[in-house]
Amino acid sequence: MPATALKTVIVITIFAIGYMFFIIRKTARRQLDIYDLVMLSTVAIVPIVFAAFPQFAYWLANIAGVGFPFVVMFGMLFAILFIFVHRLTFKVHRLESDNRLMVQEISLLRQTLDHEEDKKNRIAQDGSIH
Amino acid sequence: MSAPRVLIIIPCYNEQGAIAALLEEISGCQQGYETIVVDDGSEDATFQIASRFSPTVKLLRNLGIGGAVQTGIRYAQSNGFDFCVQIDGDGQHPPREISKLLEAYRKIPSSIVIGSRYLQNDTFRSTWVRRFGGQAIAWTLNTLFSQSAVTDPTSGMRLMDRKAIKFFVKHYPHDFPEPISLAWALKEGFAVGEVPVQMRAREHGNSSIIGIKPIIYMLRVLGYIVLARIMRASPR
Repeated sequence: MPATALKTVIVITIFAIGYMFFIIRKTARRQLDIYDLVMLSTVAIVPIVFAAFPQFAYWLANIAGVGFPFVVMFGMLFAILFIFVHRLTFKVHRLESDNRLMVQEISLLRQTLDHEEDKKNRIAQDGSIH
Repeated sequence: MSAPRVLIIIPCYNEQGAIAALLEEISGCQQGYETIVVDDGSEDATFQIASRFSPTVKLLRNLGIGGAVQTGIRYAQSNGFDFCVQIDGDGQHPPREISKLLEAYRKIPSSIVIGSRYLQNDTFRSTWVRRFGGQAIAWTLNTLFSQSAVTDPTSGMRLMDRKAIKFFVKHYPHDFPEPISLAWALKEGFAVGEVPVQMRAREHGNSSIIGIKPIIYMLRVLGYIVLARIMRASPR
């Protein structure tokens, strides 16, 4: 069972720390919510775990009946990201519906306001004529 | 008993060449129809021209034909109309034919009455692809929904009563709205009727469904209709 090269662990750790720092900062600025932070952080955490504990990767690959540990790692990442995208799809659909509804309501409201203003102007004009 | 209030919904996008004549033709009918023009984010002078003749809503952004029609349906509900009739803004649907829809409703009150180009009236000419697509959609609807016997599911000329208005305010498809709204309405158990009407050829602008688009349109609509058949009815 080969150990992961130190260089690899360092590269992955740098990437993970950098990426975690980036998404935590986004969360702190309220550009991401906590759920997004948790899901996206797995992109950093999973490779670190696999790099730091290669035995764990082999053990999982053995259980899953997969020849190569990296397939397990990518499989896990794919599953997590799929759940994330699945949830986003629902969210986007709902937001799109809300957005359409708002566009319709605001446009109708504007038409009503314009109509009322026209009416007022006409009454004012008639008043000034008489 | 007072006459029912009828609202004509005219969705349009870049119809500056046709909208004035259409609105003048409607007022020339002298049937007491009220109109609402829904300008779906036109880039030309449609809104300015239509506003001179009729209440006009300018959508803040382009929502597509489904979103525009649903805006008109919302307007009908909030202003207490008994019926709304959807017609195209390009002048293909002669306003004098609207009385046929109302007459059909008086005889048999179906919640939706479609103005059909093909029912007892095979004079309307279209490309064979479009006719084939329309027939395939009609056949699918009539097969999947036993109470359906439509011949022109893609017709953009249709009447809706209060029940249909109430339903479509909440649920109206944005893609391919004519056939899919029918499937949804049939799924809800609404009665759908048809009456033969004359339609004109488009005089201004071009249809957006050209080339191989009718085939793609048909396939997507068929998929949506099958989905409508298997999905649950919406809570009212």
